Amino acid sequence: MQQSDNNAALRNFSALVDFSNLINSSLDINFTLNNILLTCFGKFHTTKGLIALLNNDRIFEVHASKGFNSLTLQTFPKLCADDYDSDEKLADFISANKMQVYQEIKSSEGLKGLIILGARLTNKVYDDSDINFLRTIVNVGATAIENCLAVDKLKRVNRDLDSKVNQLSSLFDLGKEFSGVLQIEQISKLLVYSLIGQMLVSKYAVVSCSGGVISFLENRFDEEHLQKALKSCNKDFFDKVFTRAEFTDELKPFAEVGVDLIVPMKIKNETKGLILLGKRKNELVYSQSDIEFVSSVGSLAIISIDNARLFKETLEKQRLEKDLETARNIQTNLLPKSIPAFSNFEMAAFNKSARMVGGDYYDIIKLDENNVLFAIADVSGKGVPAALLMANIQAFLKSICKMKMHLADATNLLNDLVAENTTNGSFITFFWGIINNEKKELTFVNAGHNPPLLVRNSQIIKLKKGGMILGVMQTIVPYLSDIIQLESGDTIVLFTDGITEAMNVKWEEYSDERLEAFVVDKTNLDSKRLLEEIKQSVEQFTVGAEQSDDITCMVIKVK
Amino acid sequence: MAEFNVNLRGVGAVSVIDVKGYLDAHTAPELENVFNRLLDQKQYQVVVNFDDLKYISSAGLGVFMAYVETMRENEGDIKFSNMKENVYNIFDLLGFPILYEFFKEENEAIKKFCDSSKF
Repeated sequence: MQQSDNNAALRNFSALVDFSNLINSSLDINFTLNNILLTCFGKFHTTKGLIALLNNDRIFEVHASKGFNSLTLQTFPKLCADDYDSDEKLADFISANKMQVYQEIKSSEGLKGLIILGARLTNKVYDDSDINFLRTIVNVGATAIENCLAVDKLKRVNRDLDSKVNQLSSLFDLGKEFSGVLQIEQISKLLVYSLIGQMLVSKYAVVSCSGGVISFLENRFDEEHLQKALKSCNKDFFDKVFTRAEFTDELKPFAEVGVDLIVPMKIKNETKGLILLGKRKNELVYSQSDIEFVSSVGSLAIISIDNARLFKETLEKQRLEKDLETARNIQTNLLPKSIPAFSNFEMAAFNKSARMVGGDYYDIIKLDENNVLFAIADVSGKGVPAALLMANIQAFLKSICKMKMHLADATNLLNDLVAENTTNGSFITFFWGIINNEKKELTFVNAGHNPPLLVRNSQIIKLKKGGMILGVMQTIVPYLSDIIQLESGDTIVLFTDGITEAMNVKWEEYSDERLEAFVVDKTNLDSKRLLEEIKQSVEQFTVGAEQSDDITCMVIKVK
Repeated sequence: MAEFNVNLRGVGAVSVIDVKGYLDAHTAPELENVFNRLLDQKQYQVVVNFDDLKYISSAGLGVFMAYVETMRENEGDIKFSNMKENVYNIFDLLGFPILYEFFKEENEAIKKFCDSSKF
């Protein structure tokens, strides 16, 4: 008797050693659980058994089973670690499946799971020594199970880590790429490739809502419906990430198009664009880490997209500036390149635009050996519109000169022509005159221009006669001309209001009085010197202030 | 700058794309051009041979996502072959193996196309 007990103990012992060696040789959880079950089956001659392990929520889940069909396994009750042994559902399951014993699997860290075994083929009940043996197997097994679970967990953590590293390197990659690209189309393409590669989606859209304009940079959803969905929401609404689970009623239209994730792309807290992603092909939901990735890529992209937009605007501006530069050259060429010389008088003129192009105009045209025509004009407004009108009047003037009309009649015609071409209340103040060299005689018409100053013996005669400004309406009241006999030493100064209204830093005007006093004082100078001094005087007056209007001045000196 | 080369050849009815070097955000457009060419020629059965590919970024993977649906809608597919372990790991990490077929050798992938088109 003693002998057979010893033999049984020896058999148990050697079985345990074998078992221990076997299950500690593997880190595969299925292999380990399978072997625990098989060892129990061999020892107790049972044909049914299962092992349930606690999950993260401390609920038992069946991990290995033998002798059950899958339907029966689904009836395994939801048991909580804390009160499972008082739960009737466990007793129900045991009796329904004719199970006989269950044993806790415990490791040093506490309860890990349960093993439940069915009836023995021999119909013997499990006696104390059987239970003891089962407990021993389970104790040896528990350590192995714990190792396996730890390795599984480690593998999972490692994979998560790998995936994070991968996302980071993608971000790094993209950061490098984005900074080198200045085309919006290319940036959004790169953005999309990264997103669909990383997230496994095939439906996506990148929307720009910069400046209140919604435009699709990329779109694989139904465009019409998505457009509608976007219009139904204010862009300020998208100040955070929305996953499908967080879609409110307002976002329902997006769900209908197939959008699963909405991520705003922001610059300084302002939503400048949206990334919309559809369902993931691997059926996973978007995790926090996925959303972080999409947000980060989005932030990188939107900054580059914004940069690209600014770059484009700058290019456009540069192009415009170049156009203006060309226009300025053309305009400069419209002004006289040389000033004709006559025996009885000499002339000098100067023009400077406040902007690239301007609305001031002057001309000096030799009509024949004895007559010279000179003109000065100021188109209302500044910049390009004024410059266009200036070019227009220059063309008319050049043509009319050839017609040898009387100056007053010519002015009537000029006004009719200009009036046809002006709109929006623009007009031109204009003065022109013809000097006969032999007779020293000046004929002039003043169409609303600041009266030129004729300085004779320190007295000023203002050349006012003429009519109304050009371009307001067709000529009804004909323009009048005046004739003045010039004398030796006479100085005529023509100017535009850019001179008399030039402002200094204290917002004071240069003024007519200052100009008149200045020229009376300097009549002894020749025309070039006087012009130069007027220029300098205005420059000194306005030093530190910005030139606000076009400036033109012409000086004629009678010898 | 990282080198990338892509070459297209036909093996029977199947188009084989050889990719070489570094496939990243920067070089992805080159691969995209090849896929666009295939779509123009209505070639939907594609094997990508990764034998000489040293590195792939997620933007590179994105190209395959962008075209696979069109290929499948036209009774074709994109299959992968000859992938080095480091490259495969990235595909694996992003869950591609449940969506795409991977083959050790190019001819196995081609054979798969030929077998399935017999029926």
